[in-house]
Amino acid sequence: MSAAKRVQQWATFARTWHIFDCKWQDPYDSANVIKKYLMGLHKPIYHPMNDSGDVVVCINSKEIALRGDEWRKRAYFHHTGYPGGASWTLAWELHNKDPTLIIKKAVYRSMKGNLQRRHTMQRLFIYPGEEVPHDVMQNVTNQIRQLRFVPTRLDHIPEEVTKTYPKVMDFPEDYVLK
Amino acid sequence: MVFLTVANWVRSRGPDEFWRKRRVFRLAAHYIGRRRNCYSIAVRNVHRALVYATKARKLKKQDMIDLWNTRINAACEQHNITYFTLKEGLDRANILLDRKSLSDLACWEPRTFESLAAVAKQKMNYDGFIDNADKKHPTGVNLNLKDVMLEAWLKERKQ
Repeated sequence: MSAAKRVQQWATFARTWHIFDCKWQDPYDSANVIKKYLMGLHKPIYHPMNDSGDVVVCINSKEIALRGDEWRKRAYFHHTGYPGGASWTLAWELHNKDPTLIIKKAVYRSMKGNLQRRHTMQRLFIYPGEEVPHDVMQNVTNQIRQLRFVPTRLDHIPEEVTKTYPKVMDFPEDYVLK
Repeated sequence: MVFLTVANWVRSRGPDEFWRKRRVFRLAAHYIGRRRNCYSIAVRNVHRALVYATKARKLKKQDMIDLWNTRINAACEQHNITYFTLKEGLDRANILLDRKSLSDLACWEPRTFESLAAVAKQKMNYDGFIDNADKKHPTGVNLNLKDVMLEAWLKERKQ
């Protein structure tokens, strides 16, 4: 094998670091996308016994969006093992305790429960905000596409843009805006 | 479970107990503990193993098909094309490759697969089919990554 070919092969099996912005994304839909990169399902060389998974860094996990009234309705179950040790934590309570936990559990549950799962989870980094440690960020070379479009909030549009925006009509002087 | 001797196919019990049991013990030779040494336990486990082997002959084929599908889907995604478009385009272009050959090409000959994907895409384009995979999805905050975004780079080269 020539030297150039050998390097090509190293590159094939190298781990790539991806970043995923969780802002206003459904964690359970995003989990399927993140899982794909963690397990290496996005590579044509994939094999279940082949260690071809990549590393994924999730940012903004604090700002995930759950569907409908799932914040109030979805419960996370835990049992201590002792009698009467069952507890149900609502999604909003869990999110208040640790803003990274919902996305972590979603990714964990999206994968099949085998011995590999816990090792695959080691390759997932989740950060509540946009701040990522430098030693993690310096490896990142790819950004995973978001599932949902993140619109700009009306109150985040600058005042000048709102004023210069073309409009059909002006409200009358005596019109009371609610 | 591979039978190398005709004797294992014979269903009628032979006259000699020793040889009859030996046949089962040979099949249980790689088990551990009493499962390989006691006949009554060994024969139960051998029967179960033979049933598994029969079922696995079908499952193995299904597993391979799943693996091929995963690989083809991964390769399609790299070239920004859906599996349906690839298959339909190749069929219309009279390139009749099965999933096994396609996944082999995707794994071992990525350049060949790239050309096939381009052919399929162009054929569907001529036929007026609109592929939704080309939609530009948002990618979140602009992070000024130091390296070229691989995905964006691949997509640019396709145009």
